[in-house]
Amino acid sequence: MAELSALTTSGPAPGDPRAAPSIPPSSPPLPAPNVSAPESPGENSIAKSSLCNDNAADTPAARSASLMSGTLESLSGLGDDGSSIGSDSEINGLTVRRTDRYGFLGGSQYSDSSEKETRVEVARQREVKWLDMFRHWDKWIKHRFQKVKLRCRKGIPSSLRSRAWQLLSNSQELLEANPGKFEELEREPGEAKWLDIIEKDLHRQFPFHEMFAARGGHGQQDLFRILKAYTIYRPDEGYCQAQAPVAAVLLMHMPAEQAFWCLVQICEKYLPGYYSAGLEAIQLDGEIFFSLLRRTCPMAYRHLKKFKIDPILYMTEWFMCIFSRTLPWACVLRVWDMFFCEGVKIVFRVGLVLLKQMLGSVDKLREVQGMYETMERLRNISPDSIREEVLVQEIIMLPVTEALIERECTVQVRKWRESRGELTHQPGRRLHGTRAVYECKRRAAAISSGGSFSFLGSSVPPPGPLRKNPPLSGHQVSAPASPAPTRRERFSISLFFACLFLFYFLFFFLFAESNSRGWKVAAPESAQTKRR
Amino acid sequence: MSETYDFLFKFLVIGSAGTGKSCLLHQFIENKFKQDSNHTIGVEFGSRVVNVGGKTVKLQIWDTAGQERFRSVTRSYYRGAAGALLVYDITSRETYNALTNWLTDARTLASPNIVIILCGNKKDLDADREVTFLEASRFAQENELMFLETSALTGENVEEGFLKCARTILNKIDSGELDPERMGSGIQYGDASLRQLRQPRGSTAQNKQQCSC
Repeated sequence: MAELSALTTSGPAPGDPRAAPSIPPSSPPLPAPNVSAPESPGENSIAKSSLCNDNAADTPAARSASLMSGTLESLSGLGDDGSSIGSDSEINGLTVRRTDRYGFLGGSQYSDSSEKETRVEVARQREVKWLDMFRHWDKWIKHRFQKVKLRCRKGIPSSLRSRAWQLLSNSQELLEANPGKFEELEREPGEAKWLDIIEKDLHRQFPFHEMFAARGGHGQQDLFRILKAYTIYRPDEGYCQAQAPVAAVLLMHMPAEQAFWCLVQICEKYLPGYYSAGLEAIQLDGEIFFSLLRRTCPMAYRHLKKFKIDPILYMTEWFMCIFSRTLPWACVLRVWDMFFCEGVKIVFRVGLVLLKQMLGSVDKLREVQGMYETMERLRNISPDSIREEVLVQEIIMLPVTEALIERECTVQVRKWRESRGELTHQPGRRLHGTRAVYECKRRAAAISSGGSFSFLGSSVPPPGPLRKNPPLSGHQVSAPASPAPTRRERFSISLFFACLFLFYFLFFFLFAESNSRGWKVAAPESAQTKRR
Repeated sequence: MSETYDFLFKFLVIGSAGTGKSCLLHQFIENKFKQDSNHTIGVEFGSRVVNVGGKTVKLQIWDTAGQERFRSVTRSYYRGAAGALLVYDITSRETYNALTNWLTDARTLASPNIVIILCGNKKDLDADREVTFLEASRFAQENELMFLETSALTGENVEEGFLKCARTILNKIDSGELDPERMGSGIQYGDASLRQLRQPRGSTAQNKQQCSC
């Protein structure tokens, strides 16, 4: 373990040519990936294992070398082993490995090449539009957010996805505001209890993706770096196993430091509490989800209720991994594009659409009469049954809004308190997508530069990693966006106070004047009366 | 639902993270080592019909996430389990030390009568062993558990583990120690015909139910 952490702090960066010589050029070519679409989940899993089993399964060494193989020597040592697949294409690109266009070498998320691709002209046009948005990002978010949302729904061009995700989540700014922080976190040794479990998970994230296929390869090293850094950044949260696939998806798109800050935004702004001890947030969302299902697809709701299938049994992995282990890869990316822009609403909608597709008709329900049959269906969604465009269209059309989710949240929090007692999780912390993240940022900036009127923003907790939130109150749940003054608002407030002051003075002055004049006027009058 | 069986048992697979629970289950169901295994988030399922002592038994197996953090969620599904595989990794003393906690959870939440088999997994990695066979078997004896060392990689003792557990449950049913009719026993009859055969006990139970209604 010490070996690995030492390596990760001083090891070569991805793409570093120093890493190249350790791979023997004679490593055996990968068995051709199973391109033909599997017919059932069962066959699918067999196909998956057969891809690697031929070489690796019968060598105990393959496993013994698994966890601690963070050195480059061990990479070369595993040259004969199926588990080193992908390292070649990762390093010199000379050996032709047949990956799909997302980098998958096989497995259930391998994309068939027959998939429809966006036309070149369309793709180029979109890139131009996105580049233009990048140039005036804050203005676009402030004034033309609907358009940004629309473009995210159409899908972010893959060449610009990395930058777009970082801007949408505002992680880029976080990175710029914390220069050197990531390196600082990396230098810390970290707690053994977290490091042990992180290491156990490194080779279990997308093992069919070329980036993560190699034991101790760059993908796994970076994964270790950011997951470890997070446990130091948030010692109270530590590591949750469901963070690993999320971090891995980010790493497929951006370097470790950027991925780290993006992960921070997801864990703290988009899905706060999902990965914390106790898992209250995910259980609460399960209840919200089930209640939303009752509105959107009563048939599926009744079926699940009849067989006593709690939401937590099927939605935990969906929500915590943001569908990265569930959907075909093209769909995962489209969902993530929308998720970064619109927040958790998208996650709810995807789940609802999936349930509608799988349990939304009498015919479909007839096939799954029983708890285990239903669970089997929900846990093994066949990738063939999901069409990217259809899925996205249904997600967009589903009438589940932020307001509805928040309203349902209030109801479920009340029920939770009645049946299970106090919640430690604070649902009011969740921000619904880019717009909310930017609002929060503006408010925080207003507070920090607030000066004499900063007390006006005191209902908003101070930003920063060590903030302690006030105990949850009902009003906070229902109205998470209690408006704090922006710069313009503060200006008008101060103007108002200044005017008030001015009026006061004016009034006082006039009153005093009239009084004194009154005496002057009254004096001769009284003199006159006296004279009379 | 179409296959016929005499009994249906609910099984759990529990133990610390990374001990190979999902691989054991996969090996049992597919007869293969799961090379590309993901770690479990939440709960996974598997089922298989086996033949034990002339009876067909459908095992419905709940495979749980091992990380401590997920226990708050998975614990609620222990209820009504008839049997459990309690898994540790012979190359990791830490996973062995955690056994007491898992055991308490299983006995208090599932049922005090739950039949548990202790599985020391990764038997193939004998060179890295941290927990001896003797030590673990003593622990098993003290806590009235059955014990096996298994390897999900080679498949050694995997089937045995599940079958041994199922056989013990069947024996307990035959001796009357376990009552399948009792709520939360984790056992269901598969066939109406079998229920007919067991009329005496079945009917009294039914009568009891009627009375209580």
